[in-house]
Amino acid sequence: MVNVDNLIDLENGIQSKKVFWDQEVYDQEIERIFGRSWLFLTHESQIPEPGDFFTTYMGEDPIIVARQMDGSIKAFINSCTHRGNQVCHADSGNTRSFNCSYHGWSFGIDGELAMVPLEAEVYFNKLDKAAHRLPEVTQVDNYRGFIFGCFDAEAPPLQEWLGDMAWYMDSWADTGGGAELIGTPMKTILKCNWKVPSENFIGDGYHVGWTHSAALQMIGGPLSALSGNGELPPMDDVGAQITTRHGHGFGVIWELGHAIHRDPGDYIQFQQQTLPEVIEKKGEWRGKFYTGHWNSGLFPNCSFLYGTNTFKIWHPKGPHEIEVWTWTLVQKNMSPELKREIKKQAIQTFGTAGTLESDDGENMETCTRTNRGFQTRRGTMNSSMGMDGDGRHPELPGVLGASFIGETSYRGFYRFWSEIMKADSWADIHKNDETWIDNWLGKDAVSGMAARNIA
Amino acid sequence: MADQEELAGLELAYQVEQFYNREARFMNQRQHRQWLETMVHQDIHYWLPINENRFAKDRRPEVTPEDGGIYDDNYGDLEFRISRLETGQVWMEDPPSRIRHLISNVEVYHTDDDKLLNVYSNFHVYRNRRQRDETNLIGGRVDLLVREGDSFKILKRRINLDMRVVLDKNLYFFM
Ligand code: FES
Ligand SMILES: [Fe+2]
Repeated sequence: MVNVDNLIDLENGIQSKKVFWDQEVYDQEIERIFGRSWLFLTHESQIPEPGDFFTTYMGEDPIIVARQMDGSIKAFINSCTHRGNQVCHADSGNTRSFNCSYHGWSFGIDGELAMVPLEAEVYFNKLDKAAHRLPEVTQVDNYRGFIFGCFDAEAPPLQEWLGDMAWYMDSWADTGGGAELIGTPMKTILKCNWKVPSENFIGDGYHVGWTHSAALQMIGGPLSALSGNGELPPMDDVGAQITTRHGHGFGVIWELGHAIHRDPGDYIQFQQQTLPEVIEKKGEWRGKFYTGHWNSGLFPNCSFLYGTNTFKIWHPKGPHEIEVWTWTLVQKNMSPELKREIKKQAIQTFGTAGTLESDDGENMETCTRTNRGFQTRRGTMNSSMGMDGDGRHPELPGVLGASFIGETSYRGFYRFWSEIMKADSWADIHKNDETWIDNWLGKDAVSGMAARNIA
Repeated sequence: MADQEELAGLELAYQVEQFYNREARFMNQRQHRQWLETMVHQDIHYWLPINENRFAKDRRPEVTPEDGGIYDDNYGDLEFRISRLETGQVWMEDPPSRIRHLISNVEVYHTDDDKLLNVYSNFHVYRNRRQRDETNLIGGRVDLLVREGDSFKILKRRINLDMRVVLDKNLYFFM
């Protein structure tokens, strides 16, 4: 078992570089994090009809997600119970059965073993077919159309797992008709540890002006001032950083939801038209979140940019490689033309050939690869920015940082990372449910953001 | 796709091949703006659809430009991408990466319109970055070229990359 306390210093916001490299850390992550967390599978809009399926991974396990005849959704392991062959090689489609290409066992859309070739002749009808269904993912649930699965029966219900993060996400996932993912996901590889993009998306407002300097300069508009960190806006009323119980978090810049789009006119108009509904349904605060830009992460490996309309999952492929899957995130109530326009712009920024995507990939790879060096790996990484400002806010749930450019949600990500890596079971984790903020920051920690009374 | 029956004559086919070789050289020498201004039509649609692995019996329609894609660019979009490269602030291109385009299997056909040619070609793009970072990307292109004097402009380009998972960290280069 890895000694997690040697890897993470919560008090000072420090992580060992080993977390990006060591095989034993990775193996424990696969078992304790990917084996016990709710993981994003797909969006229900991707499999609308009975018989529709979508293939993905949970950790490194191949998974089929399928819409059942009664409209419900099940997920199971994409590996034949005969000799282990993969039973479905398509990315998506509609089918009545999954037919194994090895000996022809055939599984229903519900994962049951439906047909075995020569069953009477070679098994003399003695094969217990019920015992040979495709193993089902223990829990599958739906948050406003986003389907998640979890292999741990003891894990809290999805709504509780998302917790305060769902309260924030409701500002757009429960308004405007709800959110959906459109199109075929793009897939690429990055030779990096899965946590590098996860931590970057969850909290890194700092890199935006520098890493993406060229693209911001070309996009123009309100964010171009950030290009090359040339001209920093006043930092005390720009946005916020938030982290929550299970490590989910985000950074928000107020009012600039659309700012990465080159041609945001119709999107701004949609937001202005729908804002009154959001405020009426969800209150003033969430109205403010609704028009902001979020860089966000759902622990462990799902990230999205609300505003830039990009939704990603980082599938781990060993400690030093990931597969990046990218969809476009839109509101259901947008017109087909607006969805098409947004999809084009979202892909142009954070798709496979994206003007900002291509800035990030190399940083993520070399943040990983340098740790091949033994001496390098003995070093540490720093995420202490804005630490003194972390704390509670009188009106907003979770822990809030002092400013948009900070590392609060990095710290929150590694806070829960270390908790779940150390815990023997969900029962252990539950013991901290009421006290996690007190234990982490002390009883009186008030967010620097609240102290400035920005509302 | 327009009529593909009538194969172009030797001279015309030769001109098209030289056009592609010049294009490849512009790419390899990072003369992107020169490429755009001299070889690309103002009304271009430059398209690289997203591949998906589907069962052979899948009845969903083939991908169309309406579905968008990894590239779904008009002239302004291409110009934007090139301008970004010209800012001098694309850190991953400093030191610059190396890129080489090999173009082959060029087939040139006349269409119903005298001015338009329908052209198929294949590419192999080799990228080499930093110390030992290298990728090989292979695919095909379907172009609609407009004849302009002795030369051509690309009016439509559909790029088919022969992979599902793009085995590279991005595709920020022109194919
Ligand atoms: S491994 Fe699937 S039928 Fe034998
Ligand atoms: Fe970035």
